[in-house]
Amino acid sequence: MNTEPSTTRREFLRAAGAGACALCAARVLAEDVAGSGVTDGAHPQAAVRDAMWFERLPDKAVRCTLCPRECVVAEVERGYCGVRENQGGDYKTLVYGNLCSINIDPIEKKPLYHYLPRTTALSVATAGCNMECKFCQNWRISQYRPEQVESLLIPPENLVRIARTRAAPTMAFTYSEPVVFYEYMHDAAAAGRARGVGSVMISNGYIREPALRQLCKHLTGVKVDLKAFTEKFYTQQCAAHLKPVLEALEVLTDIGIHTEVVVLLIPTLNDSPAETAQMAKWLVSHMGRDVPLHFSRFHPTYRVKNLPPTPIATLDRARKIAMDAGLRYVYVGNVAFHEGSNTYCPKCGKVVIKRVGYNTDASGLRDGGCASCGQKIPGVWTREQALAFKPKPAKGPKTSPAPADAASS
Amino acid sequence: MTRCSDRMTRRTFLARAAATSTVAASAASALPLASCAESPPPSPNRSRVVIIRHDALAADGQGPAPKRVRELLDEAARALAGDAKAADAWARWFKPEDRLAVKVNCLGLPTKPAVALGLAAAVGAIGLPPERVTLWDRTSRELRAAGYTLKGTGDGVRCFGTDALSSRPGGGYSADVYTSGATGSLISRIVLDECTALASAAILKDHNLAGITGVMKNFYGAIHNPNKYHDDGCDPFIADACAQKPIRDRLRLVLSDATRPQYHGGPAPRRQWQWPYGGLILSTDPVAADRVGCEILERKRAAVGMKPFEAEKRPARHIASGEARGLGTAKLERIEVVSIGRVWLDVG
Repeated sequence: MNTEPSTTRREFLRAAGAGACALCAARVLAEDVAGSGVTDGAHPQAAVRDAMWFERLPDKAVRCTLCPRECVVAEVERGYCGVRENQGGDYKTLVYGNLCSINIDPIEKKPLYHYLPRTTALSVATAGCNMECKFCQNWRISQYRPEQVESLLIPPENLVRIARTRAAPTMAFTYSEPVVFYEYMHDAAAAGRARGVGSVMISNGYIREPALRQLCKHLTGVKVDLKAFTEKFYTQQCAAHLKPVLEALEVLTDIGIHTEVVVLLIPTLNDSPAETAQMAKWLVSHMGRDVPLHFSRFHPTYRVKNLPPTPIATLDRARKIAMDAGLRYVYVGNVAFHEGSNTYCPKCGKVVIKRVGYNTDASGLRDGGCASCGQKIPGVWTREQALAFKPKPAKGPKTSPAPADAASS
Repeated sequence: MTRCSDRMTRRTFLARAAATSTVAASAASALPLASCAESPPPSPNRSRVVIIRHDALAADGQGPAPKRVRELLDEAARALAGDAKAADAWARWFKPEDRLAVKVNCLGLPTKPAVALGLAAAVGAIGLPPERVTLWDRTSRELRAAGYTLKGTGDGVRCFGTDALSSRPGGGYSADVYTSGATGSLISRIVLDECTALASAAILKDHNLAGITGVMKNFYGAIHNPNKYHDDGCDPFIADACAQKPIRDRLRLVLSDATRPQYHGGPAPRRQWQWPYGGLILSTDPVAADRVGCEILERKRAAVGMKPFEAEKRPARHIASGEARGLGTAKLERIEVVSIGRVWLDVG
């Protein structure tokens, strides 16, 4: 496959224009926030709410049941994520609406390629993460505690209002790790659904099944970073484990919510053909051939500065391996101009959605299918479709009951 | 290197005699002392830990007066260094031109301000003015809540949190990530920019995951992400935090506030499990100091019928990890405990 840039001058200028517009949008967004009466630099105390998932233990300790870490947290201490604190035997989130990032992004930036193409997502984050990936691109917020970042306090209903004002059909909980600001995401997604705004979670997938099932009642899409397909990588590079992530992917498949998977290929650490083949085989057998899979290009950052950016050839190779394994929608990401960014019809091979940077041409998509041959393309193609999503009921014994202390805010 | 038998006072001799009866230490062994002129690695043979106990230290509430703490610390310092004069002892670890940062622990049951202020007063004996001493922790808010009086400028000992160094949230930490072991952290700029010498003034208390909170774990307050350091009973993360190069290079002395330690239910304060031990633990070896502190808590727990930390699946494994990282001595039989006042293992 030709990997040389095939963009015309006109396309390039259009893409550059989109970037400029994004900057303008950021300025306008600041005005939105200021106009909504939100206090800049809000005291974290204003963002303290009861956590939804925990169990009480003796001596005023608690066990967090939100993510697979299941931190046992003594009074005055915080969980691994740094944003949940035991206050007098009650477990609290410190980041309810305490947003350190808010932007309007193309949905393709998440990346979500099979979800409302050419639309924007009001994208937000708080501090904190339940992993510590040594290659994290957003470590300046994910590895910080809430009091260490500048924040705006934006309640869920205000976030929905901003999304509607900015004509964004989607709110994206992203950048750091939305699982750690679960309560806010949960409530904002519920409020958004009621007012015609969908919600997507851009996550590492490190979340326990009961919390995930509860959350998916309100979400309309999910992207999961599958960091690698070896336990070694997860333990050594992310301070986490592979198995819970795979279990979360299975749960998402069981729920039936639109899910896309991203793999950041890092030279020498997770880019072997054998590992890619194993991963692709697992995805086919557990999520089906239609799950969109993105191989993203690594750039040196945070604590992995000794490795070069991923060669384009490695991304191409991984894409070919995954497609040979049976996956039908495999993409190359973090590369400005690449044919692997396009969606191709698996039947006739025509381009259904062409992407150059964040510039997207979906003229090859008609009624959720290929405009040339009519082949259905899996995805969420209309707002109505997004908002109509309802999770399938859980089946089998895998589903755990909600903990005794779980309660919706 | 000075031998302790060369300059021993009568009181020190008696104290040491009491100590040797419990740990069979050799009075003739070389002192593993760091000095302000040079910081040699811990002795391969023995580390010395001094425990001074006095009824005045066991007072409830605000604790003893800093003046009384200073007097007792002078005595402990003489015993630690084997010097006749307190000033000579303090001069082994600090210079008059130093800028000393004393890391206190304000999370849950805090280091008593009187203890930290007593240390600040004691080092004044070598001509280190109080304005060059900073008591600090993560945030000024936590210091204030623990009873410390904040002070940034002017006469007297300074006292503020890392967060006071910048008007920008998170601005009080290094721009670069420092790695020690598996985890990386930003380091407080108080360590990097505001001091030439570092002391750990910790509180001796129980910890629900690590067994004890001591002088090593105190440095969780010097990094921006202590929440990433609590897996696996905080091991080896406590040792990793203390072994961060900027900390290790500057650390001269450790002091553990054992005036009213807590043997269960930590790190939050639980009055029912605190008792008037009336002690201060002084050493140049953070690992040995924590090992001795752990032994005190274990003995107290046994005395009241509680299980050892091991049986509660929270052994203080980080102490051995500290030795593995070259921070000091973990085995009790290789630690020379000098007990002044009541015998240190009398935990009744």
